[in-house]
Amino acid sequence: MVDFATILAGFSDAFSLYNLMFVLLGVVLGQFVGAVPGIGPIMAMAIAIPFTFGLDPLPAIAFLVGVNKGGLVGGAVPAVLMNTPGTPDAAATALDGYPLARQGKPLKATKMALFSSVTGDTFSDIVLITISAPLAILALRMGPIEIVALMIFAFSILAGLVGTSLTKGIIAAALGLLVASIGTDPENFTPRLIFGFWDLFNGLPLPSVAIGLLAISEILHRLSLAHGNVRAAITVADTGNPDDRRVTWIEYWTCRYTMMRGALIGTVLGALPGIGSTAAAFMSYSMTKAGSKDPKSFGKGNLHGIAAAESANSAVVGANLIPLLTLGIPGSVGAALIISAFMIHGMQPGPLLFENQGRLVYGLFGAMLMANFLNLWVGQLGLRFWIKVVSAPESIIFSSALLLCFVGVSMATNGLFGVSIMLIFAVLGYVMASFGYSLVIFIIAFFLGPRFEKSIAQSLSLTNGDLTQVFKSPVAAALLILSVASFIWFLRKNVQDDAE
Amino acid sequence: MKGTAMSSSSDRISGAFFCLFGLAMYFLVIPVYVETAEGGSLAPNTLPNIISIIIAVSGAFLVIKPTKHQMRDPRRMAITGFYVLLLIAGIYGMSKFGFEFVAPVLAFALMWMIGERRPLWLISGVVLMPALIWFVVTQLLGRGLP
Repeated sequence: MVDFATILAGFSDAFSLYNLMFVLLGVVLGQFVGAVPGIGPIMAMAIAIPFTFGLDPLPAIAFLVGVNKGGLVGGAVPAVLMNTPGTPDAAATALDGYPLARQGKPLKATKMALFSSVTGDTFSDIVLITISAPLAILALRMGPIEIVALMIFAFSILAGLVGTSLTKGIIAAALGLLVASIGTDPENFTPRLIFGFWDLFNGLPLPSVAIGLLAISEILHRLSLAHGNVRAAITVADTGNPDDRRVTWIEYWTCRYTMMRGALIGTVLGALPGIGSTAAAFMSYSMTKAGSKDPKSFGKGNLHGIAAAESANSAVVGANLIPLLTLGIPGSVGAALIISAFMIHGMQPGPLLFENQGRLVYGLFGAMLMANFLNLWVGQLGLRFWIKVVSAPESIIFSSALLLCFVGVSMATNGLFGVSIMLIFAVLGYVMASFGYSLVIFIIAFFLGPRFEKSIAQSLSLTNGDLTQVFKSPVAAALLILSVASFIWFLRKNVQDDAE
Repeated sequence: MKGTAMSSSSDRISGAFFCLFGLAMYFLVIPVYVETAEGGSLAPNTLPNIISIIIAVSGAFLVIKPTKHQMRDPRRMAITGFYVLLLIAGIYGMSKFGFEFVAPVLAFALMWMIGERRPLWLISGVVLMPALIWFVVTQLLGRGLP
């Protein structure tokens, strides 16, 4: 599907000085914001998307990937120093990282987190590069009927796995699809649910919805928590022993099996939509603890605990792109933001991307590998600085982030109408999260909505409106049966959980 | 026990809201705000109607069978309301006077509400950050501010 020359051209694009500069910028920004409790890579990606408008697609997407990868490394810093993870993914890291910091070894803990994070991430990137093209060939054989069945399957898995309740998951997905239907109907091109606002004729602006839901709603939540509670500066303990400030080769090598297990768990879970890096980190941590000869040392500053959590949560990032690039289905919020960057730059992620934009895809792969290398390099140099970043006051962080969101969305939507939409979705996101509705499902359904409706229309055209024809496609039939089975399974699990 | 009762009622409230919202969309909003079209295999209102029904049914189900989810502290939610009002005022102000004049005031109000009183941090947030944004957007990127 993609010839060798295209692959080489893609990689050479990634390694050009211009693109590397954006990857580096993304990694530095990602590590910086990851180290700030309350911002994290997702919010940083959401804020950064409008600022990438003027860039070519490769540096823009490579920059966002750099932010995401750097953010996971940076997220370990507040987890280790303050027992307050900068990202939810780093919560498992805090279990052993924080005790190490209290023993006067914060740099050893953060460096172990950095090395295992880069190891896990590189492993999952190699898996992504190896298997995504063959998977895309398989995906290309799917017609609209199979795509509809696949999306229904993805929704059923997301609704069941993400969040606390299947019913709330279904409501969140349905709401995302309903919001996606605002604008023009894809088949007849008639206006729909625009309420007289002709600015909505082309649908709700992606940056307004994404930034409102993912960034501003979280900032609002954090503002309410920080209200009247200005944080004091943190003092970092240090034993003065140089060995406590570094990770030796022997220490790293001793953790190799732990990291490989974590990388494998992260890659497998990351390839499935909706499970996410937090679950991967805790699963890897529990399995490492269960398999250890000294389980009692976990939670007291065991390097294996940090290695297990960080290798797994970082491995999810690369694997998340497998369903995105091969099927066009984002498996996480990070992947949903990358899909929005693709769409803003006029590309539709999916199997055709390899055929139409093979050079760009392999350029992205090259950028991901370079981001791992730069993550290691920037982390080695910057960890001492990120430790200081943790003590920056929330007042300046959140007020600046809000101003950046205003400006970014205004630039992306050419005016304050988009900013008003952003605020509406911020409030919606805040209220939904307060009542326990998953924003992840909402945003993924919103991104997939137009393609879902278009595929349904095409399927109805192909089958002349006879839905029983769906069962003539074995793939579609299998996916629909799996959707029903997973729905029943999640429903039963919900009932059992409630009974307990 | 009290927490469970609270969480049940919060689920019932949100479930009832979504049930009514779905019904309102199906019976009141979609018939008025979705134009009909001749031909095509999928009418413009088909998918929104199906989704509205799913929302209404799921909302009703949540009323009957609420989860154990704990709602966020209502006091914090009320505080958030004040921040939202401030942001609405900020957007309105920007539409009237422009970013350059409103951003420092908005940043100051936000920092003050959080509880920041240290002059150095206040100056950084109120003067330096808006100035930096202005420089990046207008001078480096060559774009206009709101």
